[in-house]
Amino acid sequence: MRRDLGDKIWFFLVAIIFVGLVALYSASCDNVRVAQNIFYNQFIFAVFCLFVMYILQNIDYRKFYDVAYLLYIFNVLLLIWVLIAGKYTLGAKRWIQIGALNFQPSEFMKLSLILTLGRYFSKRRANISFGLLNKTQLLCRDILIPFFITIVPMFIIFKQPDLGTALLLFGIFLAMLFVSGLEYRYIFSFLGICLGVLPFAWNVLKQYQKDRLLVFLNPNIDPLGAGYTIIQSKIAIGSGQIFGKGWLAGTQNQLNFLPERHTDFIFSVIGEEWGLLGAILTVCLYFFLIMHCLNIASQVKDRFGTIVAVGMASILTLQVVINVGMVMGLFPIVGLTLPFISYGRSSFLVFIIMIGFLLNLSKRRTIF
Amino acid sequence: MRLKIIRIITIILFLIVILDLFYVQAIRGRYYYNLSKNNRVRIVPLEGWRGRIFDSTGEVLADNIVSFNVMITPQEIKSKQELFSFLADTLGITYKKIEELYKKKRSTPFAPIVLVENIGREKAIILEEEKYRFPSLFIQESFRRVYPRGADTSHVVGYVGKMNKQKIERFKEYGYSPQSIIGYSGIEEYYDSYLKGGYGGLQVEVNSRGEQVRLLSFKEPVKGQDLELTIDSRMQRMAAESLDERPGAFIALDADSGEVLSMVSSPSFDPNVFKKAISKNSLKGLSSSKFSPFLNRVIKGLFPPGSVFKVPIAIAGLDTKKITQHSSFNCLGFYELAGIKFRCTHIHNYQNLIQSLAHSCNVYYYRLGMILGADIISKYARLFSLGKLTHIDLPYEEKGFVSSRRHKVLQGKKWYAGHTLNFSIGQGDLSTTPIQLTRMMATIASDGIEVQPHIIRKIGGKLVDDYNSKRKLKIQKQTFDIVKKGLRETVRSFSGTAHILDIEGIYIAGKTGTAQTSGNKEDHAWFVGYVETSKKKIAFCVFLEHGGSSQNACLTARQILLKMNREGII
Repeated sequence: MRRDLGDKIWFFLVAIIFVGLVALYSASCDNVRVAQNIFYNQFIFAVFCLFVMYILQNIDYRKFYDVAYLLYIFNVLLLIWVLIAGKYTLGAKRWIQIGALNFQPSEFMKLSLILTLGRYFSKRRANISFGLLNKTQLLCRDILIPFFITIVPMFIIFKQPDLGTALLLFGIFLAMLFVSGLEYRYIFSFLGICLGVLPFAWNVLKQYQKDRLLVFLNPNIDPLGAGYTIIQSKIAIGSGQIFGKGWLAGTQNQLNFLPERHTDFIFSVIGEEWGLLGAILTVCLYFFLIMHCLNIASQVKDRFGTIVAVGMASILTLQVVINVGMVMGLFPIVGLTLPFISYGRSSFLVFIIMIGFLLNLSKRRTIF
Repeated sequence: MRLKIIRIITIILFLIVILDLFYVQAIRGRYYYNLSKNNRVRIVPLEGWRGRIFDSTGEVLADNIVSFNVMITPQEIKSKQELFSFLADTLGITYKKIEELYKKKRSTPFAPIVLVENIGREKAIILEEEKYRFPSLFIQESFRRVYPRGADTSHVVGYVGKMNKQKIERFKEYGYSPQSIIGYSGIEEYYDSYLKGGYGGLQVEVNSRGEQVRLLSFKEPVKGQDLELTIDSRMQRMAAESLDERPGAFIALDADSGEVLSMVSSPSFDPNVFKKAISKNSLKGLSSSKFSPFLNRVIKGLFPPGSVFKVPIAIAGLDTKKITQHSSFNCLGFYELAGIKFRCTHIHNYQNLIQSLAHSCNVYYYRLGMILGADIISKYARLFSLGKLTHIDLPYEEKGFVSSRRHKVLQGKKWYAGHTLNFSIGQGDLSTTPIQLTRMMATIASDGIEVQPHIIRKIGGKLVDDYNSKRKLKIQKQTFDIVKKGLRETVRSFSGTAHILDIEGIYIAGKTGTAQTSGNKEDHAWFVGYVETSKKKIAFCVFLEHGGSSQNACLTARQILLKMNREGII
């Protein structure tokens, strides 16, 4: 039983990585816009990452508990550094360069935040006493402090600007807050306040972010500008129909109509070349992977483990659903990668660490 | 419990994604598939060269020359400033102007735009050499229509232009596209379907930048057919020179074949301005001129024929046997009807038919008109196809109007004897075009054989014989002989109204006309006649709008005929 769960996760993960490499090969094949070597880069990196994961699954996940806060502080400092001295790519400061290494601290922030919130929430005890003072304390302890922990990196990432990742952090916070066992009335009143603040948030957005949101509502207002990506990727996916155009035969992909098709829009390549069958297969692989992650979460007896596992499962869910929804025009374009498939090492590595964590968790779930 | 809720939310989210995938790919798939196909396949239309137009002597009246257009793909521009200042220097246009043109024409970043049309070959070569510095820039080769004879032939040949809205509506079923060049007026319009080149094109697969990836198919465009006209460009030039921008018209018609040898309407316009990009102002000047240079007076100008109308009346009198050539009327200088005096130009005393034509005696025709009555006059005017289209092969011909008693009655008005008198000297409810009167003269010159005026001789090297039909009028030859004698006397006799045209060595006959116009404007001056040589008979007409006395028309006719004689045409 124990072996079983870990093996299944391995299986689905390797299957997803395989699908990703196949799609990436097509996206970079024989093309000037997207360099061909990214396929080999990704391939080598994937092998390396699987090796890292193999090691990670044997490292006690409690070690993460110990370093969680430290990691968080270190990561926030990195984010501040990025804001000051980061590298501009495509109009945003997201990258940091150390020697020959390029990486995105905002990707690692996802992991740090999950671990930190997990450690924080796991210490929470059910409330016994009632009273005005205690209520304030409770509010402070259970909502405001974790919210503060979230909003600091969120704000810095938003400043980069990277709206997608910032909102994703908020999503993680909500999911973890939910499983922390806080009473529904607090959760819902907190959500109500957030919704009330939303209209003010509109003014904080940059012009291009506003454009994207408006274009999302109606891509045809600017078919060759901001709406171009949505329209082209919708055409790509839709034109795949049920059986797809065949590998390396997607015209939208091969003729450069799809921008960013090796990163955020890789799913449209899959949809075009492999059709509905390929697309649903890919989505199902993710679905089963996530379901197994949730299985681990429910079987683990350790509170920290459960909360962190839920956080990881929900970040996977959110990224997959938002990314696939985004390329189909179901969500605005927010620049989130498709885990394990999109080209990009920071994102890949972060998710590998998460899975490694979960694998170790699954091994030790019955220890306590 | 809460984990369960998380699980359910996850399942719902994935279900939404899968359902949307199903909707986009399975249900709407076909639609997007077609869109993706359109995305990558572009048709690059290529229009075949337009046929050329030649005159009867083999001279080119309308030709195509290669022209070069500067095109730019907005998406590919690296530095606008650098590119624009380079273009400004090379083309000799200001930087601001180029910026303006760019802003006006730019539509999408992918679509190339024609920035400047028709640059010279030298400039095109310079740009082509420097092209490697500017990937967004390329030179397009196209053809431009030119008219070497310019204004001399503009009314006959017409001009070309891009399709306008009405034309697009009318012609889209016939293989024209909004980018098509189409003929406007004249031969260019009438024979557009022959002149127009057939469409060919390239079907290419393109990538997102609109760059050609591969050629899918190619259809070679078909060249349009060349036309040969009956027009003689030498005569065009002579007539245009002699008319000298005065409002008026000249037409020469081969009386045996119906070939129009020359057709000039004055003032004229230069058809070459329509293809130049910068000539908006000159165009405005042309179309707002009160002398209406766009009006082809030969087929569209409606004027009262004046005394020229006496010719069919004379024929009517003879043909109905109401008079003989010796019947005389006494001219006292006026004709009195119910106390009103209808005047003549002189006191001619006794005039027979021949004298009456030569002297253009009004009183003679007042009397003859009264004898014949309005019905017979209308009948003979119609017999000579006045008030009817000649169906010449030019667009927008006007048919004019010949009044009749029945028409007046139908309008609820009465026909008075005064109307008949006016009618008898070609005034009143009567309007004709110069080509109608010229054809009438040709019919008389060839003893009642009516020809079909036309301008086309060959299409694509093949003779066009659609216009060879002839109609024989049922009038005795003797009648024509008498009238022709009168017409000849007009020129030959010292007292004839067109004696000025008595040129030695040329047989000229004809009839003058001075048509009164409403208001205080000068009269219209006419001379309609024919020249007879051993080889052929050429009917011709000189018309001067508000040209005063018919003598002015005769003077112009004399100039033209002398030049023709000198050049050996007659």
